Amino acid sequence: MNSNKMFFLFILFFSTLISISSNSWFGCWIGLEINLLSFIPLISHSTNLFSTEASLKYFLTQSIASINFIFSILMKMTLMKNFEMNNFISIMINSSLLMKMGSVPFHFWFPNISEGLSWFNNFLLMTWQKITPMILLSYYLNKNFIIIIMTLNTIIGAIGGLNQSSLRKLMTFSSINNLGWMLASILISENLWMFYLIMYSFLISIMCFFFQLLNMFFINQLFISNINYSIKMFLLINFLSLGGLPPFIGFFPKWILINFLLSMDFFIITFIFIMTSLIILFFYIRIIYSSFLFNYINLKWMKIFLKNKNLIFINFLSFLSITGMILSTLIFL
Amino acid sequence: MKKFSICFISFFFLFFMSMVNFMMMIYFIMNNMVIFLEWEVITLNSVSVVMSILLDWMSLLFMMFVLLISSVVIYYSKSYMSSELNLNRFIILVLLFVFSMILLIISPNIVSILLGWDGLGLVSYCLVIYYQNFKSYNAGMLTALSNRVGDVFILMVISWMLNYGSWNYIFYLMFMKNDYEMYMISSLIIIAAMTKSAQIPFSSWLPAAMAAPTPVSALVHSSTLVTAGVYLLIRFNLLLIDMLFLKILLLLSGLTMFMAGISANYEFDLKKIIALSTLSQLGLMMSILSMGMPDLAFFHLLTHAMFKALLFMCAGVIIHMMNDTQDIRLMGGISNYIPMTSLCMNISNLALCGIPFLAGFYSKDLILEMVSLSNLNLLIYYIYYLSTGLTMFYTIRLIMYLMVNDYNLMSIYNLYDEDYTMLKSMMVLLFMSVISGSMLSWMIFLNPYMIYLPLNMKMMVVYVSLLGGFIGYFVSNMMIYSMNKFLMTYNISSFLCLMWFMPSLSTYGLNYYFLKLGQNLLKYIDLGWSELYSGQGMYYILKNYSIFYNFYQVNNFKIYLFSFVMWMMILYYFMLMKF
Repeated sequence: MNSNKMFFLFILFFSTLISISSNSWFGCWIGLEINLLSFIPLISHSTNLFSTEASLKYFLTQSIASINFIFSILMKMTLMKNFEMNNFISIMINSSLLMKMGSVPFHFWFPNISEGLSWFNNFLLMTWQKITPMILLSYYLNKNFIIIIMTLNTIIGAIGGLNQSSLRKLMTFSSINNLGWMLASILISENLWMFYLIMYSFLISIMCFFFQLLNMFFINQLFISNINYSIKMFLLINFLSLGGLPPFIGFFPKWILINFLLSMDFFIITFIFIMTSLIILFFYIRIIYSSFLFNYINLKWMKIFLKNKNLIFINFLSFLSITGMILSTLIFL
Repeated sequence: MKKFSICFISFFFLFFMSMVNFMMMIYFIMNNMVIFLEWEVITLNSVSVVMSILLDWMSLLFMMFVLLISSVVIYYSKSYMSSELNLNRFIILVLLFVFSMILLIISPNIVSILLGWDGLGLVSYCLVIYYQNFKSYNAGMLTALSNRVGDVFILMVISWMLNYGSWNYIFYLMFMKNDYEMYMISSLIIIAAMTKSAQIPFSSWLPAAMAAPTPVSALVHSSTLVTAGVYLLIRFNLLLIDMLFLKILLLLSGLTMFMAGISANYEFDLKKIIALSTLSQLGLMMSILSMGMPDLAFFHLLTHAMFKALLFMCAGVIIHMMNDTQDIRLMGGISNYIPMTSLCMNISNLALCGIPFLAGFYSKDLILEMVSLSNLNLLIYYIYYLSTGLTMFYTIRLIMYLMVNDYNLMSIYNLYDEDYTMLKSMMVLLFMSVISGSMLSWMIFLNPYMIYLPLNMKMMVVYVSLLGGFIGYFVSNMMIYSMNKFLMTYNISSFLCLMWFMPSLSTYGLNYYFLKLGQNLLKYIDLGWSELYSGQGMYYILKNYSIFYNFYQVNNFKIYLFSFVMWMMILYYFMLMKF
């Protein structure tokens, strides 16, 4: 990573801070624009056609969302008093923010763009880029609209990922599913959302690092390359953790969120959430099962050697992901 | 080392124990003594779990017989199973069998009876499948499952007896006699005993269990497994008097006796004939027991144990010499070649028929005379005497086939009668089957039964025996052509020779419906509806949704942006309508 990219990464982080800490909608918008303009140099690569295409698509979608965002906040400023609520204005603002974060009815750009990005940029797109729109969403929230949206998010995330053979698209759809959970958590409280986001970022970072190291982009690469058996095992367990299987830490945020949702009487929505995360778990397991069990023809020249330093780092993260929830009970000793 | 084989050691040990038991029995019966040992293992609330041992003349005498027969059988199997690779396992199994039988004999406690009872069932399964072929597997499974029914009833008895606070049934026989629960318990006990003693609905396993090695048959079908049910009912007999179920038992056991007698006449397998005669004698014991004379049943049980074990051992010798052929049509004239074995065979056969002054005479004649003397209906009377005639019938037929008719197996043969290991063990039982009837009748009956009958009724046994003997003689000389005439009465003769269709009923008759039900459940539930509504159906629906969704996902990028803008326009329009 050259110094150029470090610079833009720095601006990316600070643009988010600008927009979430500003006290006017306009300041928020400025932050969003800086964010867009700093992310595009990060993803575009002059020699790679796919990343250029992705950056172009990203720019188009984000700018249209920004146009609509500034249009609706100006509308709000001119037509309404300061703390007045209006359903349609709030839906307009929410829609443009949902477009920015890639939530369901406006998510169609999201898998397409992720297909052209590297794993690290995907990681940024799935985690850090969610922060600004979500915080802004929580400022002016239309509850009924968001409830519908989050349910749709979980369903589409589950169903869309079912047929994918590209790992990046698959992770994108799983991120859409998790976006539903995050929207549900931001309905309840900001702290809960922060907890969920941190946990999710942690889990998805492990997966992205894994795939980055192994250079995996498609499912069949898992079958044909000679990966170490223990790495496959780590992959399996981290997938289970990401899907939210109980003994692992991925279950922990979902558990708390389920608890809160039930106490707020969202029974049917909780049911849909849990069932769709079962589907997610199903296609995770399907990937890993076949890579364990299938006896593919091994390409002997495709041996993957991992550097020792990276392995120790990944082992540490995986250890946290596997035993985190069990270890966290030690706090109460 | 050959001298100290496991057979030899076990023989000495068991024989010694048998003699000790014999001496103790004489001491006990002279002094009219009973020893009752009780060790309390644990007490939960008011239920005490105790291990108790009852030693009286009855259990000691029965133990003496079991140990004597088992010692002799083990000595016999030293030669009979001499080329067996796992002889040690075989002997250990037999010893385990004897051990469980003794546990059953000495315990007055229904829990420890269950231990012995289950041990008998398990070890008998292991012994029946000893030869490890499909026939013996099937026979073993039939045996084990039939006995399992009895185990279940004993378990139910245990749970009923929890009401009384202890499982020592011996204390409650008199005391709780009129209790309703005790009535239930005794009914359950009767059914359990019927399974173990192979009475009519459960009798198909007994001939099937002939798949076991012959020494095992000699042990199992003379004194141990099949008599366990009779012994249990003898112990429980105080409860059983004047029960309705006992009258049903009388009918069923009488029919068992009759059915087994007829089926034995149709049978050509040497061991199966003997097994069916065992079944017939068991029916006799059960029926005299259910008429309220447990002493006579016990007496017949003991004498029958002796000569039936001898009969099986002789059959084993003959099968050995016939190159493992069991079909009696291929045997014949063996009295010319193996006189000692033929002697034993004849004596045990005649004792079975009740020829005077052999073992069977004392018990059987006494039973029949007591039957004539007692107050009972005509059907039962006919069944008793017809079965006695049938016993003579199949015995004479068997003797004619084996001893007199022509040898039919192969033109080159070598029979020899100098296997002294087998002969010596048979001699012990020969001695016992000559003297045990008189010895026991002098020993265990304190005062002789008073018999007072008209001449023709008294001579009725002789009439039916002579008649049966003559028919047996004629049947054994029947030509092949005449045998074909059985085809004219095909239905009735297959009914009679297949034990009244009982083996088919208790295997295919039961299996079929459950297998059919299982197949239907598998077809319609497991592979049908539940698959459609859970696994495959869910997968199918989700897959279709996913395909449907991909139709929207793979689209022109312009359309996404345009639809978003349209959505915002619509919202804007609605918002303006508001203001």
